[in-house]
Amino acid sequence: MKRKIPIIDGLFEWPSDNPRLIGTKCPLCGSVQFPKSSVCNNPECDHSAPLTECFLSTEGHLYTYTVHHYDLPEPFQYHKGPYIVGAIELPEGLIIISKIRAPNEKILKIGMKMRLKVDVLYEDDNNAYLNYFFEPVISE
Amino acid sequence: MKNSAIVSVAITEWTAAGSPTPLLIDRLAEVAVKALREAKMKPGQLDAIIANTTAIPFDNKSYITTSAQHFAHRLAERIGIKDAQCINVCAACASASIAFALADSLIKTGSIKSALVAGIDNSPSGFYLAGQSVLDPDPYAAVIKVTGATNPSYWAMWARRRAYEMGEPIEKIKELMAFVKEMHSVYGARNPYARYKRIFSTKDVLSSPVVCDPLHLYMICGTSTGGGAAVLMDGEIAKKITEKPVNIAASTVGGPIYGEPMPRLRVFSTVGGKSAEKPFKEWRIPIERAYKLAGINADDIDIIECHDTSCFHTINWIDQIMGWEREETDKLIEKKQIGHDGILPVNLSGGTASFGEAVMSQAFIMIHELFRQLRNEAQERQAKKNLNIGLCTAYGAYGAYGCIILEKGW
Repeated sequence: MKRKIPIIDGLFEWPSDNPRLIGTKCPLCGSVQFPKSSVCNNPECDHSAPLTECFLSTEGHLYTYTVHHYDLPEPFQYHKGPYIVGAIELPEGLIIISKIRAPNEKILKIGMKMRLKVDVLYEDDNNAYLNYFFEPVISE
Repeated sequence: MKNSAIVSVAITEWTAAGSPTPLLIDRLAEVAVKALREAKMKPGQLDAIIANTTAIPFDNKSYITTSAQHFAHRLAERIGIKDAQCINVCAACASASIAFALADSLIKTGSIKSALVAGIDNSPSGFYLAGQSVLDPDPYAAVIKVTGATNPSYWAMWARRRAYEMGEPIEKIKELMAFVKEMHSVYGARNPYARYKRIFSTKDVLSSPVVCDPLHLYMICGTSTGGGAAVLMDGEIAKKITEKPVNIAASTVGGPIYGEPMPRLRVFSTVGGKSAEKPFKEWRIPIERAYKLAGINADDIDIIECHDTSCFHTINWIDQIMGWEREETDKLIEKKQIGHDGILPVNLSGGTASFGEAVMSQAFIMIHELFRQLRNEAQERQAKKNLNIGLCTAYGAYGAYGCIILEKGW
């Protein structure tokens, strides 16, 4: 059994049964950031309080997307075309760039509901690398 | 405040990138001397040399920056200076535009009387990826690692969103982008400095492989090497040097604003939620500021040179520069009104579509073209209409923007 490890630490909760994306929130102005940051990014905030870690909504809507038809070269060779890259608008107001998992791109429609899923991006001899994806919520 | 003007501009031929070329500093010195000679100036008379830095990849962890980050100083050594400030400017693809704006500002404040703005670049080839520095991890390397999003992915997502917001099928903007490429290639073929001379039909473009849907290969610029130089002077002195000075009505610089609703290049996420009403606010800000400084509005613009890393950029720039409803932009392009005989000529240089991108030095193509067009020296590419005011816009990663408004100074 390969060890499951996040492709980058700190982007999402792990280990977890229902992982969420991890951001930061300013306790003064409420500005939310993803990924985590050490300082507030709101130009109207006086930046006087340390940020707190927060979890982002796991559901949002598809803002836009594209199908990337080319493979990426090493060291990103596990992104093999065609793959879908999308932008997901979360209730927090942020739009997150994410790989999209969908049976095919034809079912994608801007505005449709999307849900976070943490899954294996690629494996090597020892590890399975986990990443965050969004996938369409087809029917409830 | 003083006036400032351009008295000369020279550019190199744009050539293939991704492999070593003749020594860049030699090519830069050559084009700088060409611009100085056209301005009838000796280097000893310069008050400043302001250069763009480059996108040349670093290739060994123990090498301290590359000397290409210091072209202002190295050029000064090559051509000789007596008492000039040397400044290097880094702002991704908007670098040369911002170097130009800095020179303009220094002249307008009276701090200097003359400046040589110069730069050259040899781009990385293919998708612009990012490596992890051993000392400071590059956040964009993490973005590619996680999302697989390359630069064309973002451009394609912008194009799809525009189509959606207009309520149009994706095929419509695809055809429009292909037609933009056709128009740009017609003028690239007429430009001796452009790298690509082939004229593409809309059909050729739509038959090329899809890179990031809706962007096909020929809708995305190639990567090139090239550079240029411009001599800027105090407006009063410029009039004594040339009969046809081109005045700098305004030059502005933008940045990545909080609340921009459209995900900008190379990010994981937007910042600050969607506080702007319309996307691409940060593209508009430097343009609106330039209009204010120049005391003009969009209707006064006779000709545009815009940074078209993809054909979507041309369309989006027209939207943002003219402040129209998007349907107006589409109509203008569909009716072939962006050519030399059109209502609003756009990229008669052939654009980045015909030059390929020498990343940090792109603005020289645009400044050179507007300079020649306003002086009626663009030969086969010359706009038919009477030109008084031209505008160019630069766009770079990380939210780097520049806008320059030039006008006839005679």
